Amino acid sequence: MSSNKASRIGEEIWKTRIDKVNTELVTLTYGTIVVQLCKDYDNDYEEVNKQLDKMGYNIGLRLIEDYLAKSNTMKRCTSFRETADMIAKVGFKIFLNITPQVTNWTNDNNQFSLVFDENPFADFVELPDDGRAQDELWYSNILCGVLRGALEMVQMQVEAHFISDVLKGNDTTEMRVSLLRYIDDELPPEDD
Amino acid sequence: MTTAIPSIACLGIIGRNNNPLHISIFPSYDPQSNTFAPLRTPLEFSLLLSSSIDIFDLRTKHNAINNTPLATGDYGLLHAIDDRLAAYGFETNTGVRMVCVVDMRGRRAAVGSSSVRSGLRDAEMKPVFRAMQSAYVRLLQNPFFAPDEHLGPVGGHGGRRITSRKFGEDMKRIGEGWTPGVTNL
Repeated sequence: MSSNKASRIGEEIWKTRIDKVNTELVTLTYGTIVVQLCKDYDNDYEEVNKQLDKMGYNIGLRLIEDYLAKSNTMKRCTSFRETADMIAKVGFKIFLNITPQVTNWTNDNNQFSLVFDENPFADFVELPDDGRAQDELWYSNILCGVLRGALEMVQMQVEAHFISDVLKGNDTTEMRVSLLRYIDDELPPEDD
Repeated sequence: MTTAIPSIACLGIIGRNNNPLHISIFPSYDPQSNTFAPLRTPLEFSLLLSSSIDIFDLRTKHNAINNTPLATGDYGLLHAIDDRLAAYGFETNTGVRMVCVVDMRGRRAAVGSSSVRSGLRDAEMKPVFRAMQSAYVRLLQNPFFAPDEHLGPVGGHGGRRITSRKFGEDMKRIGEGWTPGVTNL
């Protein structure tokens, strides 16, 4: 499926089949979660990143069903490149109304970057000035978990992490996604 | 030939418990030395802001007695300090007060330019307070900003000040960008 077609599908679903919700509700709710995690883990930002990823993973496991239902497709992506396009132009479009750019592919087509021009989670956010948050906290880390969880449900094991964030003063917000392997359908345990 | 027009000398935010939240000071033009320098020391500006608290309270009481509550939070001119400085005020329903001290001769402008007018109308301060309020709203929407830590104890001593870099930049933009007639900051 060409990437143009993917954008059209994303646009179409966004317009017709999605219930909209106020962005401030989303932004403030997510912000509260992150801040509460920071408090609960005593500003151990490594741990906060981990928890956000875990929460995202659990969201991803469920969200994929919704994605498949809304995008109304039974056809599998034929390549990881197509998967990337569908994530950016359909997945992110219908759930967050953004379309990150897919770039920086490795030659083996197993790794790409999602570059976020906008990020509704991070509107208004200013990381705390404690000398560590700027280095350690990946504010939108929940998104990595969502991708990992969602793709795992469609037999793809991936690893995702942010490598830059405008909140930290970088020019762009970039997430690196690598395909580790396709998970084979496991055979049922044999009866002996 | 140049003449002087009003500019902002100081912007202050005061919390509901009369605790100072933020003070920005802006230099005024000095025709004698042809340089820009603040008209007063930071301490003096801080005292000016403190004195404006009394006027807010008096006006509030006065309005309550006469049963004429303000329709908006705009207090207009609070007090004219001397022939150059004048303080204008705004209060939100949460009790946060914003004060803008204007230097009536803080900038120079060429004679004949459209911005030269005598006096200053209350309405011309509206964009300043609107911009300050929206900067304050943006500050509160940052989840890492804790409003309860910035309340301060009743009486006005202590309490944390606003340390946000973004908020400071917004105040700087407003203070430097405003002249009479500017409608959007």
